[in-house]
Amino acid sequence: MAKIVAAYGLPHTPFYPSQVIEEGPSSPTGQMFARARESLIAAKPDVIVEFDTDHYNTFFFDNFPILAIGIDEKFKGPIDEPRGGMPVYDVPSDPKLAEYLHMHTVRAGYDVASLREFVADHSLMVPLHFVNPDMKIPVIPVFISGHLPPLPPAQRCYDFGREIRKALEVYPEDLRVAIIGTGSFSLEVFGPRIDPGKTDAVPDPEWGHEVCDHIDAGDIKGLIAKATEDRMHAAGNVGGELLNWIAMFAFTEGHKPEFLLRQMEQGHGYGGWRLD
Amino acid sequence: MSVNAINRLCREVLRDHVFRAAMKDNPAKAIEPYGLTPDERKALLAGDVAALHHMGVNDFMMGYLARFGSCGLSVPLYNERIRSVPH
Repeated sequence: MAKIVAAYGLPHTPFYPSQVIEEGPSSPTGQMFARARESLIAAKPDVIVEFDTDHYNTFFFDNFPILAIGIDEKFKGPIDEPRGGMPVYDVPSDPKLAEYLHMHTVRAGYDVASLREFVADHSLMVPLHFVNPDMKIPVIPVFISGHLPPLPPAQRCYDFGREIRKALEVYPEDLRVAIIGTGSFSLEVFGPRIDPGKTDAVPDPEWGHEVCDHIDAGDIKGLIAKATEDRMHAAGNVGGELLNWIAMFAFTEGHKPEFLLRQMEQGHGYGGWRLD
Repeated sequence: MSVNAINRLCREVLRDHVFRAAMKDNPAKAIEPYGLTPDERKALLAGDVAALHHMGVNDFMMGYLARFGSCGLSVPLYNERIRSVPH
């Protein structure tokens, strides 16, 4: 049977790879990603399942699924020119497991799109750049629409995560699986609420702290109750990326985080759970 | 819906370096194939991102116009204009 060995919540700020090169691994961002990387390596996963919100590169406005799973031998990313010359990777995947997860979740009542021959942007790739050693661990992308209204309800995303967890727990192969949910809690990108002179802003750091307080307390039910579409959008035009963390929380139920590091001046945090 | 054409055009600025250069050098000619309405065309060529925002163009996509200097935009100019939208 597959075993869930670890779960992580991570940001995907596009300039972090170049910033960590410039400022060095001892920079705050370098250290926080290093913490996640060390934990993930120690957990020895055979495959990573990552919940992500595409930023209009894998999908577009003419065809934008609420939920989707990438099914292929490999995929390329990032394809959206993140700053600083971040490498474009060929990421191995596990199409057999991805197809199994797709079939299981659709049969359980979730309308999940499947995609093949796909590409990914920085939102999926920045966390992997930092935590997936040499990009060798296969990755299955699971997309949740977290920007474009209407957003799926937080409870639906949590239940979807739980359905994937149930499917993994009866998967008839001995695989060690790590989960990543990526996104910000409060962030406005190129919208009217950006800070003077900048391309982004953190409109509601208090909400970010509230999210982290719920995580620290293990109160995911309380967080889900508060994380309405209006509340997440009030925290910024990409505040719905919290849904990727909420799907990830379906795997951490009953476990204290190994670490939870707040970087609220950037509107996000770094969380890690060892589950084995 | 030509609002979606503007979103698509913004994505082409990111993906197609020839189009990106054309949007800097001669945007009026570059946007001809996109079938925009006169108001959309006027707002886009003026770099009026506040007007485009009100028309329903996606902010994230318009960011590529600022990032790559299309239609006379720069990050400071984009910033000033998008922040003029009431919020």
